[in-house]
Amino acid sequence: MIYALLILPALVLIFIVFGFPIIRYFWLSIHASSVLTGLTATPNYGANWIRLLNDDRFWLDTIQTIRFTMCSVLIEIVLAIVFALILNQNFRGRGLVRSLSILPWALPTTIMALGWRWIFNTPYGPIERIVSIFSTNSINILSNPNIAWIATVFADIWKTTPFITLIILAGLQTIPTDLYEAFKLESGDKLKSFFNITLPLLQPYLIISIIFRLAQAFGVFDLIQVLTLGGPAGSTESIGLYAYLNAMRFLDFGYSATIIFFSFILLSLFCILAWLLINKIRDKYQRNML
Amino acid sequence: MIVKNMRRNIYIFIVIISILSTGFVRSLNLKSPEIINILMPAPFAESTENLVETFNKENQGKVKIKITKGPRETESVSDLAISSLLLGNSPFDILLIDVTWLPKYAAANWLTPLDELIKREDWDSLATGAKLGNTYKEKIYRWPFTADMGLLYWRKDLMKTPPKTPAELIAISKKLKENHSVKYGYVWQGRQYEGLSCVFLEVINGFGGNWLSESNDVQLTSKEALNAAKWLRELITSGASPASVTNFSENEALQIFQAGDAAFMRNWPYAWAELQKEESSIKGKVGVTTMVSEKNVQPTSTLGSWGFSILKQSKHKELAYEVINYLTSKDAQKELYLQYGYTPTMQQIYKDNDKELINSANILNELSNALSIAKPRPETPLYAQISDVLQRQLSSILTTDKPIHEALEIANDKTKIILKSAGNI
Repeated sequence: MIYALLILPALVLIFIVFGFPIIRYFWLSIHASSVLTGLTATPNYGANWIRLLNDDRFWLDTIQTIRFTMCSVLIEIVLAIVFALILNQNFRGRGLVRSLSILPWALPTTIMALGWRWIFNTPYGPIERIVSIFSTNSINILSNPNIAWIATVFADIWKTTPFITLIILAGLQTIPTDLYEAFKLESGDKLKSFFNITLPLLQPYLIISIIFRLAQAFGVFDLIQVLTLGGPAGSTESIGLYAYLNAMRFLDFGYSATIIFFSFILLSLFCILAWLLINKIRDKYQRNML
Repeated sequence: MIVKNMRRNIYIFIVIISILSTGFVRSLNLKSPEIINILMPAPFAESTENLVETFNKENQGKVKIKITKGPRETESVSDLAISSLLLGNSPFDILLIDVTWLPKYAAANWLTPLDELIKREDWDSLATGAKLGNTYKEKIYRWPFTADMGLLYWRKDLMKTPPKTPAELIAISKKLKENHSVKYGYVWQGRQYEGLSCVFLEVINGFGGNWLSESNDVQLTSKEALNAAKWLRELITSGASPASVTNFSENEALQIFQAGDAAFMRNWPYAWAELQKEESSIKGKVGVTTMVSEKNVQPTSTLGSWGFSILKQSKHKELAYEVINYLTSKDAQKELYLQYGYTPTMQQIYKDNDKELINSANILNELSNALSIAKPRPETPLYAQISDVLQRQLSSILTTDKPIHEALEIANDKTKIILKSAGNI
């Protein structure tokens, strides 16, 4: 009983910063609150929700957001494991390399997005300049709806891989080295030791980084806003950007809240799914080990 | 007893002194100036610095203008203003607002109607184009600061006269490209953003059509709209414009034109001042005209003006209006035109034949001409939505091989639904 009392202040705080906005969003989502109602909320009995279900643009944005999230998180995790393994080795100047590698993550997103916009610029950006040496056709990365979204994934990976690398590097340092020595004595090779020792022991760190990054990538806004504004042909628009447009540009707070509340449900489902999946893999792993 | 009395007297004395002194402090406070706070995008805040300084010196102790420097990018300024308005208690008295924000802000009940403050003769002194885009539901909410119109910049060293029709523009661009006079023909704003709507408004009107009719009917499936969209796609497919134009905003277009790599550019008047700078490689080789149009159709220039609005919650409305009068006075307009190329809004300035203005390598006649054919974008509080719908479809016309009529039909239907939801607001 006393424990429950002790965590009460924390619970209250969590409710204020987390629970209250979600409830407020839900409340707004069943009201019309826009420039047409003079910004006062009047109940509209689920009209926002019907509109959401029939809004093809919203579903396209959802697909794009999922595509963006899956690609960037998957690639980031793999890359981060590789980088963390490298940074965990003993070599000269390791401290310097470790601190340099965190730089992309330390940069504000808008600044790095502006940088990428310049790098992808046609015809003066460096990528186009390099391509122009080999071919007379330019590739127009940010003008092509089929590849512009890959550019956004690329920029996101560049920025956030260091963050996961850091978490995984911390995880690697908790693995005792004698495990590897014992494994070596049992004549196991390095690759096997990675799959049998490193990866299983990294699991808690992987779970944390995957769930963390899923939530972050799903809400992507600033990167897209600066790099493409959701274009070309709406191909890179994320749910976050659409919610922002509805609130700040169209002054339609009711519908914007509906989008946000729905994406909250979607993201929760996503995280539960990821968690279940990881658990299942772990169980299978442990059974194999036994 | 005496001691007690004395103590009481001291208390009374202290009370009297403190009452007097608060009164004194209050009278001092009366002498401190009234502050008029204005939110402006950064470039305007910088260019009006001298004017504001002069005003504050002349009115020392009475009125003080305080400029809050907003972001550079237009829509970010709106975000800032809207956030402060939504939270209530906005610190600003005056906002410098873009022409497309006005109906939205007025419908949200944030602005004061200026009808009672504006003198009839002042309103009549405005150039025709400058009068547009300041009213919502027959009330004036904004006083124009500087007019802004879409212009066609052309290279005097590459041709004798600028093209008049859409077909001519493509033909000249292709010819110049083929004989390697320039790398690219015509650069404009093709990115999926507000600039694309501005470009389209000029083109659809140039083909004799309309985005919305005067009675707010959507006309995006008309033959003229189809021709306009076809022409924009043809600019890219024929090679008259580079494919990368679909990711250009104003700055990217200016960058290419300024480097001497393009023959034509669509841009706003600010580009003229940039092209006159010493580092510009084509200084003195540039002419300015209005956008091309079909034969027998009057060309159109998209109106993109800035103006001052007084917030409803401002406590010094009359004083604020005086400040607006000062910042848009004839002298202020002349100075801003000479130094920064801001298009004047007062008709008299164009008629004056002021030597100083004419001698400054100016384009006053061209600006006056463009201002006389300027057209505002649809004036509805839902403008941002309908423009967004159009931008998306135009961008897909320019970057994919989606059938043009299909894209325009989608834009047409969605615009209709949006306007219907507003119930003719």
